[in-house]
Amino acid sequence: MTTTCPPSPVPFPDRVDVQPGPALLAGIEHGPSLAAHRRQYGEPPAVSSEELHEALRRIALRGRGGAGFPFATKLEAVLQQGSRPVLVVNMSEGEPASSKDTAIALTRPHLVLDGVVTTARSLRAREVHLVLPGERPAAAAAMRTALEERSDGVRIRTHVAAPRFVSGQAKAVVELLSGRPNLPVTSWQPEAVSGHKGRPTLLSNAETWARVGLLVLRGVSSFCSLGTREEPGTTLLTLSAPGHDPVVREAEYGARLRAHLLPALAGRPALVGGFHGSWTTWETLASARTSVPGMRALGAPLGAGVVLSAPHGTCPVTLTGEIVAFLAGQSAGRCGPCLNGLPALARAVSSVVDGTDGPARVEQLAALVERRGACAHPDGTVRLVRSMLATFPEEVGLHARSGCSEHRRLHVVPDRPDAPAVRRAS
Amino acid sequence: MSTQLRVDWPECKARGLCHEVLPDLVELDPWGYPIVRGPVTDDLLADAREAVRTCPRAALRLVEGR
Repeated sequence: MTTTCPPSPVPFPDRVDVQPGPALLAGIEHGPSLAAHRRQYGEPPAVSSEELHEALRRIALRGRGGAGFPFATKLEAVLQQGSRPVLVVNMSEGEPASSKDTAIALTRPHLVLDGVVTTARSLRAREVHLVLPGERPAAAAAMRTALEERSDGVRIRTHVAAPRFVSGQAKAVVELLSGRPNLPVTSWQPEAVSGHKGRPTLLSNAETWARVGLLVLRGVSSFCSLGTREEPGTTLLTLSAPGHDPVVREAEYGARLRAHLLPALAGRPALVGGFHGSWTTWETLASARTSVPGMRALGAPLGAGVVLSAPHGTCPVTLTGEIVAFLAGQSAGRCGPCLNGLPALARAVSSVVDGTDGPARVEQLAALVERRGACAHPDGTVRLVRSMLATFPEEVGLHARSGCSEHRRLHVVPDRPDAPAVRRAS
Repeated sequence: MSTQLRVDWPECKARGLCHEVLPDLVELDPWGYPIVRGPVTDDLLADAREAVRTCPRAALRLVEGR
């Protein structure tokens, strides 16, 4: 049997529009060089592991890979093991709709490296790994260039993630470091307790490490001068839409999310959290504040900060069908329920899109694949599908009657493939 | 906290022995992979241990958890 993997409806971008921001993305107009970085920030100070832990606790830093786990808690688990830890910067960014780690690589590589190098010194770690994206050559090249500029006395080994959606999952990354296929395996213990070669492993997303860099260079009070008391600082957002180049912006926690969304996509629903995320109406987006717990409470967790809009002329139900077909093709193919269930789920969603079947089969398959895999891939796909059914019941009903609101619209208003409005974002 | 029967999904190849040993706890999905229905109660513990021991893929574990 030959199968071809359906393409992502949002391809890996050739171009990312990175806009200057108030903290992490401040000063990016001076370029990504080490010289410019040192002029802006100076040398990172030496910090003890106790000082680092206390500072991380005070800024309440959450991991930026999607799960939002408190970084200080992860560090505590690593320190409690008592043996020399392994540090890992995860820049895989296998999600096509996300480009914030790419944005960091292109504009702020030395914040990431200062973060991990300072942590390596304070934890006396001898092994540091940097996992580069397999599908974003410009980002990988930018990180290699940045590494060549430095002489830290801390050796950083680079790896390239396999081109697959699930490659960035933590256990899959640990597999890659060990020279095994870059695919998820069952997690019996957190990486912080037993990771690479069974050693305590502090593995985090590139943005998380850039935040650590910012913290050691600028201090707690500077970090806490933005955001709210509960959520200090800022977060990166990737604003994506089919047919548009992604825009990466830095949003202050507590600020209205709406202020950061692209004017051309106002009024349109969006998939918050990316392909494993949740469809959200414009009304909810317009009222939401940039907040990890706040967006969770709205049923639209920020995840890694992707806001993927369905632009005018794109039906969110049809787009969901394309995303689920892509995700089914991205299964590592090792876990039976995912290998068999996701293609079946994709077919069931496709039947909803073309109106040949209702959502009952989709719900049945969603329940069958949920929580039955080594990684979050089946669960994330189920979240996406359920959010489509919950957010667009009328559109789903229209499809059941062989309709689609956007097809009708397309006949009235011709699509504009150049979509110039995105460029106007400021 | 209770005892759970956890499946090592990448290792499981739908041999189905767990369902034969533990029919009250383990059903099979349409593709033959186990569906574990709830925690391992005391009366099922001996059979659950047997399922772990006899799984031809060594793809089952008993863990304490939620």
